[in-house]
Amino acid sequence: MDIFHDNPLFSGVRQMLGAFAKQQMRPIAMKHDTEESMPWDLMRSAQALGMTQSAMQDGRKKLTGVEDDPDPKKPRTMARLGVAASEELAWGCAGIALALGGSGLAASPVSRMGNDEQKAEFKKLLSGNDEHGRIRVAAMALSEPGTGSDISGLKTSARRDGDHHWIIRGSKQWITNGQSASVFVVWAQTEPDAGRAGVRGFIVGRGTPGLVPGKKETKLGIRASETAQVHFEDVRVHGDMMLGVGGESAGLADTKKMLDSTRPMVGAQATGIARAAYEFLLDRVRGGSLHGTPMASHQHIMFELADMAMEIHAARLMAHKAAWMADHHIENVMESSMAKAYGARVAQAVTNRAMVLLGEEALEPGHPVEKWYRDAKIYDIFEGTGQIQRRIIAKQLTGQNPT
Amino acid sequence: MDGKLDDEQEMIVQTVRRFADRDLRGWGAEADRSGAAPDRLTAAASELGFFLDAVPASADGLLEGDYAHVTRALRGYELGRGCAALAALLETNVEPALAVGAWGTSAAKQQVFGALASGGLATFGHDSRGALEVTESGGELRITGKVGPLPALGVASHLVLAVRDALVVISLDGVRREAIVPSGWRAAKWGIAHLDGQRVPAELVLARDAAAVTEVLSWARVSLAARAAGVATAALDHAEAYARERVQFGHPIGQFEALIRLRDDAMTSAIAARVFALHAAWAIDARRPEAADLASRARVLAGDAVAKATVDAVQIYGGYGFVTDFPVEKLMRDARAFEALHGDERLGRILAAKGAK
Ligand SMILES: Cc1cc2nc3c(=O)[nH]c(=O)nc-3n(C[C@H](O)[C@H](O)[C@H](O)COP(=O)(O)OP(=O)(O)OC[C@H]3O[C@@H](n4cnc5c(N)ncnc54)[C@H](O)[C@@H]3O)c2cc1C
Repeated sequence: MDIFHDNPLFSGVRQMLGAFAKQQMRPIAMKHDTEESMPWDLMRSAQALGMTQSAMQDGRKKLTGVEDDPDPKKPRTMARLGVAASEELAWGCAGIALALGGSGLAASPVSRMGNDEQKAEFKKLLSGNDEHGRIRVAAMALSEPGTGSDISGLKTSARRDGDHHWIIRGSKQWITNGQSASVFVVWAQTEPDAGRAGVRGFIVGRGTPGLVPGKKETKLGIRASETAQVHFEDVRVHGDMMLGVGGESAGLADTKKMLDSTRPMVGAQATGIARAAYEFLLDRVRGGSLHGTPMASHQHIMFELADMAMEIHAARLMAHKAAWMADHHIENVMESSMAKAYGARVAQAVTNRAMVLLGEEALEPGHPVEKWYRDAKIYDIFEGTGQIQRRIIAKQLTGQNPT
Repeated sequence: MDGKLDDEQEMIVQTVRRFADRDLRGWGAEADRSGAAPDRLTAAASELGFFLDAVPASADGLLEGDYAHVTRALRGYELGRGCAALAALLETNVEPALAVGAWGTSAAKQQVFGALASGGLATFGHDSRGALEVTESGGELRITGKVGPLPALGVASHLVLAVRDALVVISLDGVRREAIVPSGWRAAKWGIAHLDGQRVPAELVLARDAAAVTEVLSWARVSLAARAAGVATAALDHAEAYARERVQFGHPIGQFEALIRLRDDAMTSAIAARVFALHAAWAIDARRPEAADLASRARVLAGDAVAKATVDAVQIYGGYGFVTDFPVEKLMRDARAFEALHGDERLGRILAAKGAK
């Protein structure tokens, strides 16, 4: 039985997004990979369907007709819906999936730490079309040229300017939607000597003077998602747009929590890529022959498929378990990291072995498995590298920080 | 095999290493972006003796006496450290020239050596999946089906093709071809040829002998293995240098045990791949009966090693590993062709073992 059948909501989302991925994403995936372009048209229709997260939680509501009970003691469905959706969309195309969901990276800290005014401002900055007539997207700018894994070493600074304003200065690196975003959530150090405790997030609209989108990266994979530098050259921001003011959860610790909450989904995305490659081979094996013998009679190929299916199954269960814990308000730091790190491992291993099995065929330009091989690598890098996940897991296990 | 290089080998290694470091790396990065080899490659490489090194001196080539596969493997490793795509072009004439030299009729020699001596390229392909259709009448063959993707096939004048037990020369004049740019070895002038009842006259049939096919495959596999080991080493060298500079959590990342271990294991595989390639090359030169088997296994090992080393190098670079401004993502794309070209010998051995029972 499918693990998502414990709630028809999940299987419904899987079915619906699976069909969307197959019909809308797959046909254009290679084009956007080759051109390294964002799928703006699809993003617009996805937004209409409630699939982008740019309107924060509205998307889920629209998509499923379900709204989680705000009572923090009641179980939710959000995290599990997130992993179910993530796997399907990444199965279609991981790059496009990130183009559709990238704004969610910025929406998540706003919904967690923002007050009503900030949420409203964020929403306002994302409504309507931008100057190119495209839907508006958001960016979450945390990483810097010198600081990826070690987010406590941020160099971007925010200093007070009068009673009501902050001036932000620094550069951000590898920012998803960095060139096109209409709104940024940027993280900066507000007290030079405070270390982690001084880091705060600010909502900054695109037109703000001094906010300069930088170079767009060309990449190994997930090329339908835009990655760019963003420079903050003395950007003046009103203090009202600093997240978490007045609340106790505002600093870097909460940034980390925010990343914890997305990890099961990232693991599920990686699982989606692995499943795509595995199913490609499965179709081949069912239909094809090798040196005159039906492929299905080759034990070594069948066992490879068995291994892949096994690993994918395990990765999916891990993501689902981590999400289930989140939905039941159980701390899931370790399980989230496990789901993310294991998903990344499986995506890389399965696409690698699929490349080996396909051999010369995979050298053809535009071969989907080759693309998935390139796409899979990102899952061991962003949202906390494989090493950082193991650091988190090991710390949970031993109580010590393995440097 | 004592592992000691003679003076000539030492000189070749030094020269090619300098060429790889000084020119190929830089040209390779640019060629990867544009999907085209630089014009100056031909002149520079010709001067170093590439393209004609396997063409006999009597046919205006540079080869006197026996060809030395060990020397080629040594050189291939250095080329791999430079750029896999450009290395493929520099090595592409060797199998065709040696095959024609070994088994060619005088007509075949005239055609192929003539074309190579006037600056042409040739390439070698293997119908590893038995996908081509071959009919025979008299001594003449007719071949139908798709050949490739193969490096240099987009521009080559001749193709030496191994199909079943036949080794044939196909003049590519008038053959329908597509030039393509795949994800890896982007500058290697790849092509796909569509043979439609392609006539191969008896004088261009080099051999009807499975052993001849195996021999050419051995040359190709050892060369691929040596170059793959070079690409793996380059990836790990880049990663080591980067890990020394990049600081996170107050330490150069090269100090983190997990990364030391990651790179160290990949390095062990890369070194093993290089040594194995040299050993297989030596077996070919010494005409050892196990040469073909070794060549095939050396390629498998090197294919795995280069895939692992390049993926791990990207990992060590973190986010910078994923973008084209840094050298390692190219290497990860370049890694795959080493294992894919000319078919998977692992599969071949499975079939052979079952057939032998
Ligand atoms: C396509 C893409 C999209 C991205 N999108 C965003 C975005 O929208 N917003 C954003 O803020 N960032 C984004 N990032 C940045 C991403 O989160 C970072 O690249 C990632 O966190 C790794 O940081 P780094 O690149 O600086 O690598 P580093 O931290 O420099 O790591 C380099 C290597 O060292 C290892 N390492 C580091 N510390 C340790 C340790 N203590 N022990 C063992 N090994 C260690 C790492 O695992 C890695 O292998 C994106 C990156 C990419 C490539």
